[in-house]
Amino acid sequence: MQLIAGERCALAASSGLVNAAPDQASKTFLATQTLDEGRHVEIFTQRLYDLGVKPNDLETTIKTYINPHLGKFAEVLLEKIDKKDFVAGVVGQNIVLEGMAFSVFEMLHAGAEASNPKFAHTLSGTIADERRHVGFGENRIGELIRRYPEKKPEVQRMQREMTKHMLATFHEAFARNGSPAEARTGAPQKDRAGPTYQGLNLAEASNEEMEGALSATVLKEFKTRLGRIGLEYQSPV
Amino acid sequence: MPETDDPHELGEAEFRNTVHSFEFWFEAVQGYLHGRPYGSPGLRESELTERQRQGLITTLCNYCVGETAALDASSGMIGFAPDRGAKIFLATQVVDEGRHLEVLLHRMKQLGVADPDAEIEQRANRSLLKFKERLLEFVDARDWEASVFAQNVILECLEYTVFRHHAGTADPVTAEMLRGIVSDERRHMGFGENDLGRRLLMAPHTHDRLNQIKRELDSLVINTFAETLGELGVERDDRPDLAGDYLAAVARLGFRS
Amino acid sequence: MTDPLELPASARRPRQTFELEETGFNEVPKRFRRFYRRWRGAGDKLGPNEALCPVCKVVIRSTKELRAGDRVYCMPCMSRLELVEEEGMLIAKVIY
Repeated sequence: MQLIAGERCALAASSGLVNAAPDQASKTFLATQTLDEGRHVEIFTQRLYDLGVKPNDLETTIKTYINPHLGKFAEVLLEKIDKKDFVAGVVGQNIVLEGMAFSVFEMLHAGAEASNPKFAHTLSGTIADERRHVGFGENRIGELIRRYPEKKPEVQRMQREMTKHMLATFHEAFARNGSPAEARTGAPQKDRAGPTYQGLNLAEASNEEMEGALSATVLKEFKTRLGRIGLEYQSPV
Repeated sequence: MPETDDPHELGEAEFRNTVHSFEFWFEAVQGYLHGRPYGSPGLRESELTERQRQGLITTLCNYCVGETAALDASSGMIGFAPDRGAKIFLATQVVDEGRHLEVLLHRMKQLGVADPDAEIEQRANRSLLKFKERLLEFVDARDWEASVFAQNVILECLEYTVFRHHAGTADPVTAEMLRGIVSDERRHMGFGENDLGRRLLMAPHTHDRLNQIKRELDSLVINTFAETLGELGVERDDRPDLAGDYLAAVARLGFRS
Repeated sequence: MTDPLELPASARRPRQTFELEETGFNEVPKRFRRFYRRWRGAGDKLGPNEALCPVCKVVIRSTKELRAGDRVYCMPCMSRLELVEEEGMLIAKVIY
């Protein structure tokens, strides 16, 4: 459910950015990203159907189960997109949102690899797409940030806001629902070690440990990536 | 994808889900894009006179304006598309339009244009620019019916007619590139007409509003059409019948011209 | 109940069936390609199992003879069509 909500946000954001892109090459790349995000929405929706949700109940199911913090996370980003703010939009979408998605998918992939190869395969395709998106964000925006340094404070404020909502999303997801079901499916078998993510045994780790591992990984990635494009990571705490 | 290979055996919902899916789009475009970088399977350039080259560059500049309008509009429309199927279809359209822009710019470079953006700025048809401006206003206003009408019915029909005609007379490299674009336009046009057709059946009052938009845009479409064919050196008597496609499409939707 | 004698002659005899070959049409996924072909313009005579899509001008093909009331799909432009008889001709009309 949260994956669909995240991908829908990515679809709205990347498509909205096409119009705001200042050059043809960015427009073209963002067009391919729009297609990728649309495909992700499609495959995660199909996964929900496979799990028994009826197509007619899709929207109400999403409304019922969407993590409210994820909704706020999307709002902050889409506000920038609505204003056609390309620099903030790409940082929000291709670095913050995609950076978060990348780590979440990696964790889910680690959990599903042995027990649910079909879902793991879907995730690995999605991860391959996200790599391109994150790469575009860094390469294109690095140059724009150097050209428009006055944009830095506003973009950093947005990053802090989005990070705050992201951490709250993780907290609620692990605390309220237990660990995400897909990450838990890889229970260890007698003769095999359980799935691991960032050195953590997912089958045995507590919810707090999993939340901590995911948050630490994402934030570390943020710091590194933002630093590379000339922005300073802003802690929401 | 459905079990059956006979498309006519599909139920209505199954048909729509199939053709609006990525799988369908991916396998469809593979048929005519595979092995054709920039829309052309390595064809040899034919000799163009300087006048022909200049005419072709001006035409390609205008195609770029049209395709940029379609790219900006179709991407913007995803944000307010009424359902998931429409959003996903539009995502495929966005990538089609992005590719069209890419192949057109590449063709301009092949023709020796060093700075395509500057040429587009200088040579773009005013009526087409005005059309683009109005279309993006509809998108900014999140007006789904007006946006689908202006973009997927009017603009796509115009492009479909002009590109098809141009492909029949152009040099081989340009012709092949245009044929690839026309194959995409069929989907875009069909989506627009079918979506709007269903909507008009459910909300007939929309008809009057769209008719007003049509009246406003008609002159821009007709001017663009005439100017483009003029640049291509097509004599008045030899020009394709815009009515054959555009007016027929709007007539099917119940609009009189 | 329908009186077979009241039906038009074409409806009374069994429908012809057709083996569809590839036509070189490449704008839909491979498995559906034989159900479509390019239209060659005004002089292109349609077979009894063929109809012209009014939206995108592609010829739609069926494994059986087409008759008024049949529903067919144009995959290249994603249209649903119904065949109607107008002035003795079978025409495909879009159903929205």
